[in-house]
Amino acid sequence: MQINWQLRELNLKIVYYGPALSGKTTNLEQIHARVDPAHRSDLVSLKTHEDRTLYFDFLQLELGKINNLTPKIHLYTVPGQSYYEASRRLVLRGADGVVFVADSSPECVNANMMAWQDLESHLASFDMPIERLPIVLQCNKQDLMGALPPPHIKQILHLAAVPAIPAVAMQGDGVFDTLKTITRGVIAYVQHQAAFA
Amino acid sequence: MTNPEMQSPINLPSGITLYPSQDKAIDRILNDLMQKSPAEFILLAEASGQILAALGERTTADLVALSSLVVGDLAASQEIARLTGQYQNYQLILREGPQTNTFIAEAGAHMVLFVRVSREVPLGWARLLIHETSRQLADIVSAVPEDVGKLDLGLSEETLSTLVDDGFDSIWKG
Repeated sequence: MQINWQLRELNLKIVYYGPALSGKTTNLEQIHARVDPAHRSDLVSLKTHEDRTLYFDFLQLELGKINNLTPKIHLYTVPGQSYYEASRRLVLRGADGVVFVADSSPECVNANMMAWQDLESHLASFDMPIERLPIVLQCNKQDLMGALPPPHIKQILHLAAVPAIPAVAMQGDGVFDTLKTITRGVIAYVQHQAAFA
Repeated sequence: MTNPEMQSPINLPSGITLYPSQDKAIDRILNDLMQKSPAEFILLAEASGQILAALGERTTADLVALSSLVVGDLAASQEIARLTGQYQNYQLILREGPQTNTFIAEAGAHMVLFVRVSREVPLGWARLLIHETSRQLADIVSAVPEDVGKLDLGLSEETLSTLVDDGFDSIWKG
């Protein structure tokens, strides 16, 4: 988070995290396509030749003023493939909130669990206890045959206190709700932290 | 809401707060670098990719996108240096181009400086100035003004949620 009192800006960083091919980039593509261009930046994507995320995707959104401060939301994705662990850690640096994009298909239970453990370990390396950071669980690919329902995925990942949102990101379903929920959480967190600073 | 001139820093796990007095000092330092080098373009970003300042000839590049890439570039370079045992504070990346050279420098723990200079500017001179500027910037941000009070957005959680929702609803085309 960064506050610039001269410009009256509140800059926040939200990272979309999750296993490979869970739909992190798709979330940003949908947001990019559906937000008024006057209120967003270009979508930056650093991809491999196979169209997979190499380093990160990035998109900035600008909201209207809240108590005379303009919130600017910086959205990042991480590369999901296991061998990009070092890159994921770099992108997580300075995050104010995380959207964990889980793949709801039953075959991906282990991949979700491993990605969650990976997230926990990176946050711990920044001395950031995971329970302190605003997190939203997005249960993506709910349109798949046999998709696990959000309460089931929450149970598997032991995330009782985390808001879970069903989504079909390819169609834009749940993308907006996820974005609003994490942003509300992050701004409330910032205000709460400030009150006790 | 209290006067921002009387605000306190927020001790969050990450990020920085810039007060007007610090912002002015940063402008002065960057203008100085601009004149002395001379530089064509300077961009200062917070370590998570947020723009703090931009001076000089702006190309058609989206500065927000550029900022995220500059920070990513330095972060990757820092990590490479760590993995190969070559890390030291105030890392600097030089990229030589046909007409201009660009530098990306770590300005303390919280900021990244991007500077574009003509190829006619001696590399050693530019490097010296950028190192000096990076240190000055880090000192400015690490020194919290004394006359600071408390930040409070002054909103209940419910009001805050409504304002955030309204903000998103107004920019979402669906």
